[in-house]
Amino acid sequence: MTSHYIDWIWKIRGNLALAPGQTGDDAFDRLDPLFRQSGTAHKRTGKTLTFQKKDQDAQDKMSVFDDGILRIEQRGAEAVLRYQLTSRALLFCFLAPLLFLAIGQLTLVVGKYQKSSHEASDTKKPAIKKPDVPMNPIDKALGAPAPDKPKKDGSKPEGRNKKPSATTAYVFAGIFAALYLVGRILEDRLIKGLFKKRLFGL
Amino acid sequence: MDGIRVGKRIIGAQSPVTIGWENIPKVQGGPVKQFVFTYFQPVVLFALIAFWFYAPNSIAKASTAIGIHIGFTVLLLGLEWVNPRYESWRLTWKELVTDLFYVGLGYTLLRIVDSFIGSDVMVEAIQHSIHWDKFAWFMGLPLLLQAFLISFLFDFGQYWMHRGMHNWYPLWLPHSVHHYITQLNVNKGAVGNPVELFLIGLGIGGFFDFLPRAALLAGAFGMAIGTYQHINVRFNSPRWWRFLFNTTEHHSLHHSQDYEASRSNFSGSYIFIDRMFGTCVDGEAELLGMEGGRRMSIREQMTYPFTEGWKTIKERFGSRPVAVPAE
Repeated sequence: MTSHYIDWIWKIRGNLALAPGQTGDDAFDRLDPLFRQSGTAHKRTGKTLTFQKKDQDAQDKMSVFDDGILRIEQRGAEAVLRYQLTSRALLFCFLAPLLFLAIGQLTLVVGKYQKSSHEASDTKKPAIKKPDVPMNPIDKALGAPAPDKPKKDGSKPEGRNKKPSATTAYVFAGIFAALYLVGRILEDRLIKGLFKKRLFGL
Repeated sequence: MDGIRVGKRIIGAQSPVTIGWENIPKVQGGPVKQFVFTYFQPVVLFALIAFWFYAPNSIAKASTAIGIHIGFTVLLLGLEWVNPRYESWRLTWKELVTDLFYVGLGYTLLRIVDSFIGSDVMVEAIQHSIHWDKFAWFMGLPLLLQAFLISFLFDFGQYWMHRGMHNWYPLWLPHSVHHYITQLNVNKGAVGNPVELFLIGLGIGGFFDFLPRAALLAGAFGMAIGTYQHINVRFNSPRWWRFLFNTTEHHSLHHSQDYEASRSNFSGSYIFIDRMFGTCVDGEAELLGMEGGRRMSIREQMTYPFTEGWKTIKERFGSRPVAVPAE
């Protein structure tokens, strides 16, 4: 059984008080169009509605959720809609920083391996010596800066052959951590707003 | 649906498409908005050319190019918000996460793979065994011509690789995943099975990167032209632009749910390559994807080429069912 201490990562829970006099059937009828989307299956049994989604459309307003339970509960005199929705996308985004941290570590290991193998092979390979071609007169006339002379120490200029850097992976880890926080708050609010709009026509 | 005859082909018989520039909607709104979305693309292109042409050597570096690319992407995401081509292509949180995941893979894991078996490795190997004096003529060409030739060579290779992907089943399998995207947004070009993303990145353009400035200019061409393939922004692209360059319109047609439409507009930047080989169709489509627009999960995107390939092999070479005599 999943502990509530951690499942908030991928589950969104909430409740909404129904309008006075609004029945559970009426509430589910109003929410019904949300579950008549492509790739969505749903079942209503009394005061419970369950749904599952597979390959949901990108523009499905509940596309971020894969399954969930909605219940109408009585709290004293008022009826309340309680919902618990599961999102694999949220879990994926939560775990993505770990993946990119691992990729960062892999980059370092690979970099080390490549450095040692390059050092071994560089002794055999002759250095690439490009001919010293004068700038084209058109470029000179237009005022383009002259290219730098090749460095004497033979070091390569920064370019597309630059070795992979772990920093990029760490930056993506940070981006996904931020995206998770945004998504966890945003999707919680969006679904609440969507249910409110359907239930009360706000 | 009857479809529209374009040359010998009927386009749009399976899914709605718009054919012909005169039928494509224009940017709606006031004169300032119309002005911005008419001249944005050429202004950015010429500004980038001027920047890379005149930037001092201390600034004309790959790290500056990466910074510009990130800034440009953020700007385009803003334009998607302000002036979307289609409401049905709106960027959602989930779409953004999915797209950025692939962008992240491209910048990290695929770079590691590329450093072992990518184009740059092949180019470096060749560069060690050629007589450089034979290429002095290329290095003496005007910078802009060098840059154009580098990007054209890359795009020419990409055109045939892409066309091959649409015509040869083993290449189609990895590429098909990219065709399951159901909307175009700035980072959608990065979405696809990693095998395909590796294959499409192969090219000999890098071989001619003799001068760093020419390579950076070539990269600017790619960024200021090719990026518009996947974007949800309505532009009034000038006539000369859409004649020469690939546009969102062209590429949306390529991603259409209509099979014939998807077999057009293969180039990355230069649509005139398609015009040269008779595969260009001017038009656009809103309904994109495969299997009626089924959105594929990341898990399936990773495994699809292999599972589908395995299914096909089993169908072709697997044990055939024993015939049961009719009663």
